[in-house]
Amino acid sequence: MCRNSHCSQRVVRGRHLFFCLLFTVLWLVFFNAPASAHKVTIFAWVDGDTVHTQSKIGAGKRAKGARVLVFDSEGNRLLEGKTDEKGEFSFKIPKKDDLKVVLKASMGHMAEWKIPADEIGAVGDVSGSTVPEINVKSGIEEAVRSTDVKPGLEAVSLTRHEVQDLIDKSLDRKLAPIVDMLADATDCGPKMTEVIGGIGYIFGLVGVALYFANRRKKE
Amino acid sequence: MSPGVLIAGAGLAAAGVAVGLRKLETKEIPSVGILSAAFFVASLIHVPIGPASIHLILNGMLGIILGWKAFPAVLVGLALQALLFQFGGITTLGVNTLNMALPAVICYYLFGWGIRIGNRRLVFILSAFAGGSCAVFLGSVLVGLSLYLSGEAFLPAAKVVVAAHLPVMVIEGGLTAVCALFLRRVKPELLEGAYVPKQSL
Repeated sequence: MCRNSHCSQRVVRGRHLFFCLLFTVLWLVFFNAPASAHKVTIFAWVDGDTVHTQSKIGAGKRAKGARVLVFDSEGNRLLEGKTDEKGEFSFKIPKKDDLKVVLKASMGHMAEWKIPADEIGAVGDVSGSTVPEINVKSGIEEAVRSTDVKPGLEAVSLTRHEVQDLIDKSLDRKLAPIVDMLADATDCGPKMTEVIGGIGYIFGLVGVALYFANRRKKE
Repeated sequence: MSPGVLIAGAGLAAAGVAVGLRKLETKEIPSVGILSAAFFVASLIHVPIGPASIHLILNGMLGIILGWKAFPAVLVGLALQALLFQFGGITTLGVNTLNMALPAVICYYLFGWGIRIGNRRLVFILSAFAGGSCAVFLGSVLVGLSLYLSGEAFLPAAKVVVAAHLPVMVIEGGLTAVCALFLRRVKPELLEGAYVPKQSL
């Protein structure tokens, strides 16, 4: 009798195992692109005297019309706004301080991004300082000569500000894909390994629970 | 979420988990684990519908199969999601567990009888469907309620949550019915274990 019940228990356990395998295989086969469950993210970067933010809901969906709040290091609310169609929101830096940008999407979903003061400080120093005009004529002439373009090009004199602007613009353009990549990378959904790891954890917990239950029974 | 709501939610969830663990028998541990795993994976599956993308919850299925034991199953699933993917977060774990598992238990009491009647197929299907969709509905109402208690206006908050979950309700109802039918055919003791009063063997 005892042996019988033991046997049937083993059969039941085998069936359980079969079931869990079936379940996982079915899930994984039908939905082999597990995406995040409404995880919201916000990504902010400083550009000149402006902070740009990009908000997302889930993997790759832009959060439209979500509230963005900006706090300083003491937790005072400095400003607030709404994201546009692309999930983006930009604001002028209100204060040189550690800023905390908080995204509040619908249904109580929240995310935040911190901008340390030194990031802002460095930007502020450059844009705030007045610099004397310098002549970059020779440098440009050299550049023209070395690239062998039309020799008749007139010498231009640029202020440091204009050079700064040109560099900034070109950098912005070139860095845009990288910024986008970073924004994407910050909200990569759960990976298959993590999902399987989670299932493994659950089965492990089942094992631990069964172990203790059996030990209690023996005692 | 305000701290009061978080603490109250955690307390109630802990009570529910305690009840669930007390009712848990050794031989039921594997099925709780399997359903916990199903719950854990279900939220990762996205179904794009219109502008939004939604995910399954499966708390109704947990409810009608596990009853009070849905509490520990949901807690484990949500805790792993919070730890591995940073969904929700640890602080909101209690409230989230309550919001998902309490509707499961309510549906267990509301629709359990339909599943207990073994020989009526239509009643069985209907109550499984109702259990699946009702659990999602109650869950979204609870989410709206906890947002309201944290200071947001109730009606707008609840409306948004419920509206977003309308398609999920239909899908989950159907899925719960299909799964329950499948289980009844292949492994009826999983359903009966929770329902039929234990006969002396």
